[in-house]
Amino acid sequence: MGRFDRHGWLILLAGAALGLAGVMLAAWGNPENSGICVSCFIENSAGALGLHGNERMQYLRPELVGFLLGGTLSAALFREFRSRGGSAPLPRFVSGLFLIVGCAVFIGCPIKLVLRLTAGDWTAVAGLVGLVGGVWVGLRCLAAGVHFGSGRRQSGGSGLWLPALFLLFLGLLFWQPTFLALSASGSGAQHAPMLISLGVGLGLGGLAQRSRFCITGSLRDLLLMGRRAPLVWGLAAFFLVALVANLGTGQFHSGYYGQPGSHLDALWSGLGMLLVGWVSVLIGGCPFRQLIKAGEGDADAGLAVLGMFAGGALVQAWGLAATAAGVPLFGKVAVLCGLVFVLVSCLLFRERSST
Amino acid sequence: MIPGDRFDRVLVVLLLAVLLSLGGLLATQARSGAGAVTIDRNLERDLAARARLAFFEQTYAPVLSLQAAGNDQQALMKLEELGRRYPGEAHGDILRAASLLRLGALPEAVAAAVRAVRRNGDYVDRDSPFSQRPVIEQLVDEGLSSLAEKARLAPGNATLGEALKNVYYLQSRLAGGCE
Repeated sequence: MGRFDRHGWLILLAGAALGLAGVMLAAWGNPENSGICVSCFIENSAGALGLHGNERMQYLRPELVGFLLGGTLSAALFREFRSRGGSAPLPRFVSGLFLIVGCAVFIGCPIKLVLRLTAGDWTAVAGLVGLVGGVWVGLRCLAAGVHFGSGRRQSGGSGLWLPALFLLFLGLLFWQPTFLALSASGSGAQHAPMLISLGVGLGLGGLAQRSRFCITGSLRDLLLMGRRAPLVWGLAAFFLVALVANLGTGQFHSGYYGQPGSHLDALWSGLGMLLVGWVSVLIGGCPFRQLIKAGEGDADAGLAVLGMFAGGALVQAWGLAATAAGVPLFGKVAVLCGLVFVLVSCLLFRERSST
Repeated sequence: MIPGDRFDRVLVVLLLAVLLSLGGLLATQARSGAGAVTIDRNLERDLAARARLAFFEQTYAPVLSLQAAGNDQQALMKLEELGRRYPGEAHGDILRAASLLRLGALPEAVAAAVRAVRRNGDYVDRDSPFSQRPVIEQLVDEGLSSLAEKARLAPGNATLGEALKNVYYLQSRLAGGCE
């Protein structure tokens, strides 16, 4: 394992904090096994903003606002805020949309995948296999020359607008205008106290910004570098702390059947997460990492975040999201469309050597 | 960004003027309460929920009376009649599930409960006025104890398999999660 440097310890801390917060937020009121789930939070927040009409999933999640603004505050404090972007903006927007499609079909983002596993939900194993497979395929694509391009430093403050939008969301959280929808029942009505959620979000956002922690990034590093990579140890810390916390709070229920927020369609869980892993590698991070990067001034990640909101609205408005009953037909169609999109993108964005 | 030439200063002044106007508009509208005349989805939704509850209590009152008196067969007939008038109504299905359970028709009771919960997730919520958790919990307990064993002994039986799948669905919904 070697000695960790300061950055390594920061990664361990970020992983451990994510694991603890993910479990405790569920204990404090968030939905079961969903103490932290970026995709579920985005679907809820899209509902609160009126982007879909599922009355059971409408709540502007303070954690989401905290993640991005925590990243902004940390980046500003350590002078790492840089307005950058301009590489493949629309493909990144569409990528964000399909990230949420993949998550919605699995019922959870990569963070929730780990939380479900550590709560004893064995249906999440299929998702894990898919996610690792997607990361592997994404790495193969990168090695073959597929590249969405790197964002360039930009003048004009383009990176400021996502943080500004989320500042508006922060204002809406406290102001609670009547046009903000609020579920009275269902998972949208299950939430930890607002200030706790916001505080946890800000803290995790800051830690994630400093540490660059990312679930799919950790898997990528595991496949590329094995145990040497610090991010891998961060993921391990996340897993272990979440497992212990679930056991300690009585939220560990081992089994395949009857798990909260899960279905038995293993194939589509795997395919949904395959899509998520693949897209995450190509655009440089999982949904959580896109939020953090957007907070740092990365306008390309900002577009991915906007795409995720569009995806969150669509999966609920069009009934694409999986439920405990399984994956609807159009959810399966959406995943396959996502795979078409990523395959076409790989073909179009591939830099071929002329020999 | 420090304003440079005259054009920049004009822009900054205009920006400040618009921001002040925005703040003033929000402040005055908040005081006058004019904003309350706009969308209040939450109020509309709560009113609709209460109206719905009152409608169910009135419409299904005969069914509930029959069930309370132990006349589940007649309750099912009454539900058939109401089902012709309100096809696809989830409340009829959840009440049907309760009667079928008492009559010992477990697979049919589970199927009716699944139809109801898929249309209206409020039936599994603890705090909802529509909550039917006790019935659903009983269905799951009995389903797991009897159907699971029967399905294990007859793995090729599609009907039992489907019934067990329905029990697992209800079990998952009772466990909670994002739905």
